[in-house]
Amino acid sequence: MSATTNAPVATAGTTPGARTRPGLVAPLRWEIRKLRAQLRAKAVLIGALVLPVVVVVVIHGQSRPPKDTLFGRFATVNGFALALLILGFAAQWVLPLLTAVVAGDIFAGEDQHGTWKTVLTRSTSRARLFWAKTLTAAGFAAIVLAVLAASTIASSVLIVGHEPLTGLSGQTIPAAEALRLVAVSWATMLPPMLGFTCLAILLSVWSRNPAVGIAGPVVIGMVMQLVGALGGVEAVRPFLLSTPFEAWHGLLADPRFTGPLLDGLLTSAVWCALSLTAAFTLLRRRDITGG
Amino acid sequence: MNQGLAVEATGVSKTFGSVRAVDDITIRVAEGEVYGVLGPNGAGKTTFLRMLFGLIRPDAGTIRILGRTWDESGVAVLDEVAGFIESPRFYPYLTGRQNLEGLALLDGGHPPGLLEEVLEVVEMDDRADERVGGYSYGMRQRLGVAASLLRTPRLLVLDEPANGLDPAGIRDMRSLVKRLADSGLTVLLSSHDMDEVEEICDNVTIMKRGTVAFHGTIAHLRTMAPQPGHVLATTDDVRALELAHQHPALRVARDPEAALVVTGARPAVSAYVATLVRADIDLLAFNQTQTPLEALFFMLTDDTAHQTLARPVEPTTVPR
Amino acid sequence: MRRTILVVLAALAVVVALGAAVVAANGDQSTVTRPRLERSLTTTFSNLYVHKAALQGRTLAPASLHAQAMCDKAGAENKDVGPGGDWNCLMSWTDPEVPMPPEGYGKFELNVHSNDCYTAGGPSKLTGFLTMTDTRGKVVSNPVFEFDGCFDPDGDNTPTGVVFPSLLAIASTTITPDADGRAGLQVTCGSGDQGCAGSIAVAAGDTELGTVHFDLAEESTGTLPLPAALPAGAKETTFSVTSTTGAGPTSPVTLPVQR
Repeated sequence: MSATTNAPVATAGTTPGARTRPGLVAPLRWEIRKLRAQLRAKAVLIGALVLPVVVVVVIHGQSRPPKDTLFGRFATVNGFALALLILGFAAQWVLPLLTAVVAGDIFAGEDQHGTWKTVLTRSTSRARLFWAKTLTAAGFAAIVLAVLAASTIASSVLIVGHEPLTGLSGQTIPAAEALRLVAVSWATMLPPMLGFTCLAILLSVWSRNPAVGIAGPVVIGMVMQLVGALGGVEAVRPFLLSTPFEAWHGLLADPRFTGPLLDGLLTSAVWCALSLTAAFTLLRRRDITGG
Repeated sequence: MNQGLAVEATGVSKTFGSVRAVDDITIRVAEGEVYGVLGPNGAGKTTFLRMLFGLIRPDAGTIRILGRTWDESGVAVLDEVAGFIESPRFYPYLTGRQNLEGLALLDGGHPPGLLEEVLEVVEMDDRADERVGGYSYGMRQRLGVAASLLRTPRLLVLDEPANGLDPAGIRDMRSLVKRLADSGLTVLLSSHDMDEVEEICDNVTIMKRGTVAFHGTIAHLRTMAPQPGHVLATTDDVRALELAHQHPALRVARDPEAALVVTGARPAVSAYVATLVRADIDLLAFNQTQTPLEALFFMLTDDTAHQTLARPVEPTTVPR
Repeated sequence: MRRTILVVLAALAVVVALGAAVVAANGDQSTVTRPRLERSLTTTFSNLYVHKAALQGRTLAPASLHAQAMCDKAGAENKDVGPGGDWNCLMSWTDPEVPMPPEGYGKFELNVHSNDCYTAGGPSKLTGFLTMTDTRGKVVSNPVFEFDGCFDPDGDNTPTGVVFPSLLAIASTTITPDADGRAGLQVTCGSGDQGCAGSIAVAAGDTELGTVHFDLAEESTGTLPLPAALPAGAKETTFSVTSTTGAGPTSPVTLPVQR
């Protein structure tokens, strides 16, 4: 360091205490910028765009359709059915994983890099930082779902075809209506997916370990699915976060029923509220001794 | 220049599990001065500084920074305060410049041109567009200072700023801190190196195991310092320590590197050596290596020392 | 590390305890019930049947089929509730081109899942086979051969009141007499309303051996002893079933004798 340059100091120019404290937008912009610089987020988005095309081509080429999953029976000949088949499969572990990759790391990553002491000693409070990270994770979940849905529906319909679809009450659904229902069905994945976002955030804050934040929600999701499929303990189904992933069935039935969709919205909201409250409290009260 | 207290910490304590990391510390730092918090590793300096920054919540006591407390003002306490704890950490996948820009976002922005200016001051302007992951220790340290200057602070809090740097880096860091202090910043720094503190600080608190062992000016510290210290290595340190009781004019203690540190008047030291020789204890080494202040520091913070000099003294501002 | 394990175990314990409490409070409730299955099956089957007819160039309205179903969970006694692969549904419908068998219904097997969806398959005599030929001569899959359906977990749960009689079937393929000439006849009584009761007249060649009575619960098997010993040299036996409860084979059944 040269001895001739002078340090820029506050005495001249800035008035004391004149710092404009940032709102929520600035920390949000920062989190988004960090996310964009990370290979992980870009890789996930590219995967969500490209992999469905591969899956569609592979399934289209199969001689025996996968009959054990809903709509699998028609998946090799009907693009709408294939899009719904992939939807059912994605809900098992793919969707929780896609959101956990970002949400499970966005807090624990600071522990990993030791940067809590760096970001918490600026002018942004812990609360604002928490919300900026949460909103970023939620936004990413919505975007990756949209990309996955668009890619799946487009490639299914274009590659396999757009014949009328046989619904879940045996009814024949014309192509235009089928397309609309398929798109809406994919959209109903958002609330439970955000539920997993909140769960991943809780695990990320509590464990301070990105691996737990990413793998935890996936494992928990699969366990919940298994439990939900058991006979005898069905009373717990309304409380499981995996149940809302199947609420779209009602849209494909005739007459349409939406009870499960509303229940699913409530379940996801409660999971989010509880997870985020716990995570916020943990972060607020934590003593940052590392880094 | 003396507009009041930059930092006023009263009765601050923090316990982790069964360890009292900080025990009833009271420190007052006046505006415009350079204040040192000195102590060996584990004395509680870093924990105390973390509490200033709100990273750790104190169990007891109040901390008032530039007149504000965390309970009253939240993160506004850190307006015009900047610094770093231990080695500064950044995001390795971003460049130095991107890291600083991000931190400026968290600050609510920065005046145009300031970012370039702080990079020049710490001489990182040519390396600012490389990823931090490839930076050396010294470069990260300098980037940390740049990040602090970006906030145009009135109070700079630095935790062992020269730690881990090579001698050239240490020299540069010290001169930078001096220049910043000369320009009117209040600087609070911690260190385990007495020489460093002597060179740049006006007032000092010496901490030992979470408590205050000394408060006062450097000048006062110098008056308390004994004769230059001598370092002895003997074949039987334990017996040598026992024999020291026969020489009450001397202070003899064992330092962490298993050498005996003897402080006292030269004749008394010679007499002590004679006693050891008569007792058939061989001297393996006999060096005068400690400065008076180093010796004093060691005495104040050593566990086997019989006396502490803990007289909390109101710090007076040294006019600059 | 130890703290992490303890927290995880504690969380697991809490979750399991809560789950157990919920299950205990709600007992054996399930959204999968007999009335919902009966209604969903008839609706879905009707729609698909109409679709199949359209492929064959016929126009039908689902309502005109008047499909009716009686569902029964095989394993449970009087508790037709809950998911499983053992649901049997007896269904009848009206189609002039496909008359119902004498008992009046076809037996469909349903595999029902806890998510209120099921897969159903029925007798190919009535539904057809996996593939069929449409009016253009193309080979297409038969919509009613095997199909999926889902029902509203909150749907109408009032009983439909549809009942069908149980069907008695003769299970043995041969009669094997022992050293004394005595033999037994294996019969099964299928799903249905009240089980099977009646009598069977047994003849060996021209010799009348007598009648044996039977009274079986639905979904059960029984072995009926022949009323008399078989004469030596008898080559075959003929059984004529008269049902008082339930239905049975309408024409006499002849079985070879194997010694």
